[in-house]
Amino acid sequence: MSFKDALNSGRFVVTAEAGPPKGTDISKIVHEVEALKGKVDAVNVTDNQSAVMRISSTSFCKILIDMGIEPILQMTCRDRNRIGLQSDLLGASILGIRNVLCMTGDHPNAGDHKEAKPVYDIESVQLLGVIDALNNGKDMMGNDLQGSTDYLQGAVVTPEANPLEPQLMKFKKKVNVGAKFFQTQAVYNIDNFKSFMGHARKYPVHPVRKDAGYNGVKILAGLVLLKSAGMANFMNKFVPGIIVPQELIDELKAAGKEKALDTGIDIMASHIKQLKAENVCDGVHIMAIGAEDKVPAIMERAGLL
Amino acid sequence: MIITKRRDVKELQENIKDYKSFFLLGCSECATLCATGGEPEIKALKEELEKQGKEVTGSFVAKTGCQVLGTKVELKKSSKEALDKADCILVMSCGAGTQTSVELFEDKPVYPTNDSLFLGNMTRMQMFDERCSLCGECILDGTGGICPITACPKGLLNGPCGGTNEGKCEVSSEIDCAWVRIYNRLSKINRLKDMEQIVEPKNWASHRKPMNLNTREKASSGKDKPV
Repeated sequence: MSFKDALNSGRFVVTAEAGPPKGTDISKIVHEVEALKGKVDAVNVTDNQSAVMRISSTSFCKILIDMGIEPILQMTCRDRNRIGLQSDLLGASILGIRNVLCMTGDHPNAGDHKEAKPVYDIESVQLLGVIDALNNGKDMMGNDLQGSTDYLQGAVVTPEANPLEPQLMKFKKKVNVGAKFFQTQAVYNIDNFKSFMGHARKYPVHPVRKDAGYNGVKILAGLVLLKSAGMANFMNKFVPGIIVPQELIDELKAAGKEKALDTGIDIMASHIKQLKAENVCDGVHIMAIGAEDKVPAIMERAGLL
Repeated sequence: MIITKRRDVKELQENIKDYKSFFLLGCSECATLCATGGEPEIKALKEELEKQGKEVTGSFVAKTGCQVLGTKVELKKSSKEALDKADCILVMSCGAGTQTSVELFEDKPVYPTNDSLFLGNMTRMQMFDERCSLCGECILDGTGGICPITACPKGLLNGPCGGTNEGKCEVSSEIDCAWVRIYNRLSKINRLKDMEQIVEPKNWASHRKPMNLNTREKASSGKDKPV
């Protein structure tokens, strides 16, 4: 079943994430994502995440397709202007890529090429609109395409953003320009996430176009695997929009160095269980950050396998 | 105004190592307010150069260094002899001022003493910040008068990115998130509906380099009438 069909089926969907390496040796990441095959519905491939230069997202998506894993192409607006983005979208389409996650992209300042010229010719809301046009046989200037794309376009949102209201306004714009699914920034406080979902559920069906064959905007809660108390503290300090509650940090601390990862897996599994049991959202997006081989264990403990 | 700062001294020394005598040209407008091209800075540079065994044949503070004709007339009146004697002209204003001299002195080398940084607002004495990027098509009408093309490091047009953090920017905690500022401002003036508008991709063709503008009325042809 494709990712799109899985979303439309109404069952609880699971996606994971893979970050291509810097350099041409992909043996390690290929080995790690192998563990995800047949377990998750799709795997995101990051686009030079944190503005650190790596293998292109599109190329690694093609590797996943060849492995029998459905990819979600993450596409940021940081490195390509509107010509480059559209050209790469057409290119990804002929490689069989069918899902795109539209993002603004971390500023080069965060990465390993700080002197790079940031592009941001268009941004995430506009990129969603571009994909809608390409799906309808036109480029963003209205020129006819010889063969259109068939993308399921998604976007991101930060449920714990502070202040939340401007974030929600942008979320609504993304829905209005055709985002079909959202994968959120990491959430750890399920009550806060539920309150975000209260806002998000105001848009159950695409409010403008009511696309045929599509029954609403799907939201996958983003979950980042906690590997240690230090990692949790680091994210609290340096990653905007991520708030790891103190009680979880205490739990990781109490577990000690050797058991911390196992505790992190338990924490995520219990969050997934709760989200599914209470029908809070449409699925989860698991970001294991280098521990992709732990995803099956997480899913098992969450009762998904 | 155009904000400038002194260039790296070593770079300038490398630029001028082949020359012995200099004319120093400041500017009474932006560069004076930035303390990079007023009387005190000219005096200081003169002393620096003389310490290095160079000669300063003269100096002048142009009224408006980016005004080509005005500067030409001023210099002709005030400094012709000193200019003739100089091997090289050092311009202590912005890149525009430097290129005024390049146009006026075809046969003399001209070097800038300053880096030109941005179009700035002066908040306090010698404190400047950038609020306008001269992008060619003003969007302040839809953003409560705060420019996200300038104030947001990503120049986002449709709201904050995921890096917004308690009102601060992911790029630096010293930068206020432009879109939180816009949101707060629009809330205050009861215009939040402006932020709900989906802003289309910007037309960068309206900012194609090199820009120029001619609003003179050309009586003979009837073309180029001011709008």
